[in-house]
Amino acid sequence: MLTRFIVLILLLSFVDAPLHAEQLAEVDVPTQVIPAGQKGDKFDRDFADDFDGSFAEAEAINEILIDDPLEKINRGVFWVNDKLYFYLIKPIARGYRLILPRQARVSVANVFNNMATPVRAANDLLQLKFHDMATELYRLIVNSTVGIGGLFDPAASFVGVDNVDDEDFGQTLGYYGAGHGFYLVLPILGPSSLRDGAGTLVDTFSDPIRYADVATLTYFGGKSFKVVNSLSLDRDTYEGIVRDSLDPYLFVRAAYAQRRAAQVGKVNYDILSIDGNFWDEETFNPFKWLGL
Amino acid sequence: MKRILLTVLLGLLLVSAAWAVPQPQEQVEKMIKSVLDVLQKPDLTANEKKEQVSGKVQEFLNIASMSQRTLGSYWQGATEEQRQRFSELFVKVLEGTYLNRIGDYTDGTVQYLKQRVKGDKAIIDTQIVAEDLAIPVQYKMILVNDVWQVFDVVIEGVSLIRNYRASYGEIIRKDGYDGLFALMEQKVIDLNGSY
Repeated sequence: MLTRFIVLILLLSFVDAPLHAEQLAEVDVPTQVIPAGQKGDKFDRDFADDFDGSFAEAEAINEILIDDPLEKINRGVFWVNDKLYFYLIKPIARGYRLILPRQARVSVANVFNNMATPVRAANDLLQLKFHDMATELYRLIVNSTVGIGGLFDPAASFVGVDNVDDEDFGQTLGYYGAGHGFYLVLPILGPSSLRDGAGTLVDTFSDPIRYADVATLTYFGGKSFKVVNSLSLDRDTYEGIVRDSLDPYLFVRAAYAQRRAAQVGKVNYDILSIDGNFWDEETFNPFKWLGL
Repeated sequence: MKRILLTVLLGLLLVSAAWAVPQPQEQVEKMIKSVLDVLQKPDLTANEKKEQVSGKVQEFLNIASMSQRTLGSYWQGATEEQRQRFSELFVKVLEGTYLNRIGDYTDGTVQYLKQRVKGDKAIIDTQIVAEDLAIPVQYKMILVNDVWQVFDVVIEGVSLIRNYRASYGEIIRKDGYDGLFALMEQKVIDLNGSY
């Protein structure tokens, strides 16, 4: 009798277990409970970044996020950029903020964003992100016409077609397996890398303003205006970094390396390795393109 | 016989207690709320706010794990004294940073997007929405003594702990532990001054 009772309870306790686990799902956000035994899934990849580096893998924990053979030069440029930021560009942005109301500055940013659509669409195409490319082009058409040259964003506010992730040629190279190469701090433009610096250069070829037959001075004037305008909308991000970090140079470098790796969608520190997702099933299956 | 039965029942009770796991997302919500509640009190001075918040954040963060992971293999090379010193300074640096950051976004709202739970680990995806910007913020948590604790915050794909690790490792390589501690002490003083 008692043995049967114990067996029954033991059985019940096994049935009991998953029921309790499901209680997790009772909040208002989508909840995914993954069985603990499962290995090597997306959760592990998302989590492992810093967690699975147990001390047995001390090497991994002292990972170098990005190589920096030119650190001395980079630090020099970083110092100059820092001074330019605090003593020239930021004061201009602050004055500009006083002149133009916020909504107008947002509209200016929209125009610049709209004009740069070809750059993003071209890189969507190169990365075979057809849905994103179509979204970019649709937004360009709607916002250039109904949105009066891109001043407004009716594609998002009326039709509900939101911005997609920004793509640039640096990310395209990353998509096909190129790593950062090494870290570079560009004058005025700021943090970059061998890969992304080259990418920035390539992207200027798909920038329509390049072909608008304007004087060089006007061209760079426009670029500076874009920078000042976006800084006027910024919430002192750089000031925060300088205030919080022990060594802003190191902090910016690590953040840049991580951010770009996240944008590309994977971590790859070796520029010579090719393990891109070009040759997989999704590339050649037209049904996958159409999302069928 | 009765004793055996009692033991089994007691054992089962313990088992089911372990299954009734608290919500990791609720814990994040509690943390953010407790901080915002203090920050949004209009009649407190900046310093009072800081004092009230500092104890609160610590109870939600797993400081031990964060310090360990920030130092990486340098944690193993450190003496007990150095570890202690680092943890103490690190808490202060974290607090200062966190307070300054959250203070920047008091007008924003936090949206909870989804949570994923696997055994004693969880990832919570949130988003801070303020005016026309939306910043994805991910909390990585572990379950310690039946309490979910944050041990890393990932903002726009940038893991805070990883960033600290890359920077602090390099500083130790160049200037040793003492160099790092000196920098941290200076930073704590600067951060306190900026409220």
